[in-house]
Amino acid sequence: MMTTRRNFLKVSALAGGGLAMAVSLPGTSAMLANDDISSFDLGAFLNIDTKGNITFLLTKHEMGQGSGTGLPMIIADELGADWSKITLKRSDYDPKFDSRLMGTTGGSGTVAKMWEPLREAGAAVREMLKSAAAARWNVSPDTLTTDNSFVVSPNGEKLEFGELAEEAARLNIPKEVKLKDISEFKYIGKPVKNLITNDVVMGKGNYGINVDIEGMVYAAIQRCPVYKGKLVSFDDTEARKVNGVIDVVPVPHLDLDLEGQYVAEGVAVIATSTWSAFKARKQLKIEWDYGKNGSRDIETYKKEMSESKMQHAYSKGDFDKQSVEEGFELVEAEYDNPYEAHALMEPINATAHFNGDSCEVWVGTQSGERVAQAVMKATGLPQEKITVHVLNSGGSFGRRYYPDSSIEASYLSKVLSKPVKLTWSREDEIMHDYFHPYQRSRHKAIISPEGKVTGWYAGLIRAEDYMEGLTRWEIPYFFDTIKTESSVIEGMVHVGAWRSVGPHSSSLGKECFMDELALRLNKDPLDFRLEMLQGEITQEGNDDFAKVVVSYRKVLQERYIAVLNTIKEKGLWTAPKKGEGRGIAIENFSRTVCAHIVDVSIDNSYNGFKVNKVTSVVHCGTVVNPHFGRGQIEGGVIWALSAAMYGGIEVKNGVVQRDNFHDNLLLRIDETPEIDVHFVESTEPPSGLGEPGTPPLAPALLNALYNATGKRIRKIPVRREDLLNATA
Amino acid sequence: MANYTLTVNGKDHHVEVDRDTPLLWVIRDTMKMYGTKYGCGIAQCGACTVHVDGTPIRSCCVPIEKLQGKNIITIEGLSQDGSHPVQMAWKEIDVPQCGYCQTGQIMTAAALLERIPSPTDEEINRAMKGNLCRCGTYPRIKKAIHEAAKLKQS
Repeated sequence: MMTTRRNFLKVSALAGGGLAMAVSLPGTSAMLANDDISSFDLGAFLNIDTKGNITFLLTKHEMGQGSGTGLPMIIADELGADWSKITLKRSDYDPKFDSRLMGTTGGSGTVAKMWEPLREAGAAVREMLKSAAAARWNVSPDTLTTDNSFVVSPNGEKLEFGELAEEAARLNIPKEVKLKDISEFKYIGKPVKNLITNDVVMGKGNYGINVDIEGMVYAAIQRCPVYKGKLVSFDDTEARKVNGVIDVVPVPHLDLDLEGQYVAEGVAVIATSTWSAFKARKQLKIEWDYGKNGSRDIETYKKEMSESKMQHAYSKGDFDKQSVEEGFELVEAEYDNPYEAHALMEPINATAHFNGDSCEVWVGTQSGERVAQAVMKATGLPQEKITVHVLNSGGSFGRRYYPDSSIEASYLSKVLSKPVKLTWSREDEIMHDYFHPYQRSRHKAIISPEGKVTGWYAGLIRAEDYMEGLTRWEIPYFFDTIKTESSVIEGMVHVGAWRSVGPHSSSLGKECFMDELALRLNKDPLDFRLEMLQGEITQEGNDDFAKVVVSYRKVLQERYIAVLNTIKEKGLWTAPKKGEGRGIAIENFSRTVCAHIVDVSIDNSYNGFKVNKVTSVVHCGTVVNPHFGRGQIEGGVIWALSAAMYGGIEVKNGVVQRDNFHDNLLLRIDETPEIDVHFVESTEPPSGLGEPGTPPLAPALLNALYNATGKRIRKIPVRREDLLNATA
Repeated sequence: MANYTLTVNGKDHHVEVDRDTPLLWVIRDTMKMYGTKYGCGIAQCGACTVHVDGTPIRSCCVPIEKLQGKNIITIEGLSQDGSHPVQMAWKEIDVPQCGYCQTGQIMTAAALLERIPSPTDEEINRAMKGNLCRCGTYPRIKKAIHEAAKLKQS
């Protein structure tokens, strides 16, 4: 039995007959404590009409992770609905949405966070449909079941949901509902087909870049190539001679004071087509003031990192004292994980129509809420005058969490009094990305005279950041003493969220250093990790947060051990094939734990190696859709392998040195290894799959290269010369 | 600006654009057909792939003046109803994640199967390596091409 959060469910009759269920999904304990939730109502998210058609309102962003299919699968199963009766309706952003649960999509949290509220809502509606049928048949609702959109009685009588919807809508929401047992699921756990596929293969995908508004003009912006540089002056004489050019307008410093937000200064060309705007912007003559970033590059940046002063972050016991004790050995190593570009297939874009007293924006975004806030500031309009139409994205991976293109488009629409479609060129998308921040990880360990690792040090030096979080420090292993320090260097390019955020940065050093320690102690890298995972998790502090941390760490400890044991049981960690090297690494993203085993062989290619196979073992609780789940892990592997082979942004005199796919290389089909994905069997709630496949890949690769060559590489990307120059 | 007649999906379209305008932007901005995608503008990603007289080309890099009298097929013209064997296989294997690159992938794959009805993995790699997918659907693309080859022969 589960108590429904009745306050957050509201059922009403649908205009024209049927049942409409409204739900508000509270995101914080403060909201949970608030009985008056009328302000959080978001309107009907689930409708059943009298014909039995079920409409599910999707408030989450569809960017390739499959939310638009995974979420309705959950509700369909709790309802006992016929999948073919379900239609998806995409919602515009609504300020009533709770931001964390509904208005923002990210952190691999969509299914994880919506799982329980959707099941409760589905179960509540199911019980009401059963009660309506029970009243007709004059039996107890407890004797009834639902299947394939029918309420079914023990003697085989059936009533379709549509026939019951009106009566059900008049009933009270049950105080308690029983959620289905996992064995009763018909869709969850099955490879239900993605609802976007039919449109996609016909070329009808609903992406932001395809928006077409009557009377719109096309814009392209030439931005200052150096981060935080200033526009001094420009000459548009030649640009205006290009056919189709309507206007040329400066884009000033738009200081919107929004966290993590940056809009480069530039000059916009407005034209009758994208091509005209692209062509004309090349004719602009612009004078910039690059400022101090104009004399920085990656080499000076590395020097700044080496010289930076570390600040204390966390400690347990006295690492420094232990490190100088008689007979104890101190080992250390340093790992570099560079800036990375998103390189999304669909270039950044936004279309805006400023109408004098209102503004509409069409954009693929992970946060309609942030777009609305940004457009408010860019246009000076109040929130209720702003409509954000959320379209699908051609990939996002954190990048479209930021509303910069909506700021630019709405600003230009206001200046021009016309609807404006802004398309970033591929060059814009790479050079002016919100890059994954550079992180250097300095690790030290203390080895006792008995050959045990007793102390752990992590010193993390990183680019000015958009988030400070535990994820960078988390370590699942047990040590007597721990010391962590950090240092933040002023960024030389703008940074933002990039698939898996902190864990990708930190896993490289952490999981390579674990490998180094295991081999130094002549231990098997997997067994060494299992050994270091044994320990008792104790609560530090007495507040609610400390309690949450303890339960979180316990889940992780169990899952790390379960993943490693599964690898052993399935015989996946054996000696490499002749001529190959094999490496392992394990990492968590939130509560999902993923280990990769990478098999490499050495060759004479650009990189000097080839990845032949990646074997992944993942613990994410219930796998809602195994086809999507495997796809996300495969995608996470390929994403991280692109970074490990070709990533890292070079910056010279403040200017990003890559600008398209000829120099920002990404993995192609012929370089893609065989990827074998295993999920640990679990009936626990799902914990997310979009990002967990990325972090452990690079360290597993570097560990495999060591296994193959006896040479330790401590950075990505890896090129042939790194293997040639590395010392054993 | 000049007038051109383009044959796209069996229909003649009269357009007035600059002679250096790439086919991609004529298809998207002038003809308002949005299945063909802009990805890079330098023929490095394949998102804009269309068929010109049966050959897959990157429409972002071919100026309209070179396409007079040619038969151009876009994703919208590959089939009326998604029934082309490659589209059917893409649905069967459920290939797409975000889906943005997939129309280009499908156009390249369809041309490959015209040339080699039953390609090996090696031949698939060679034909498809010009098409990028950032979501990493490559393993499924490969599977779907084998599936399409089967569908086409049956």
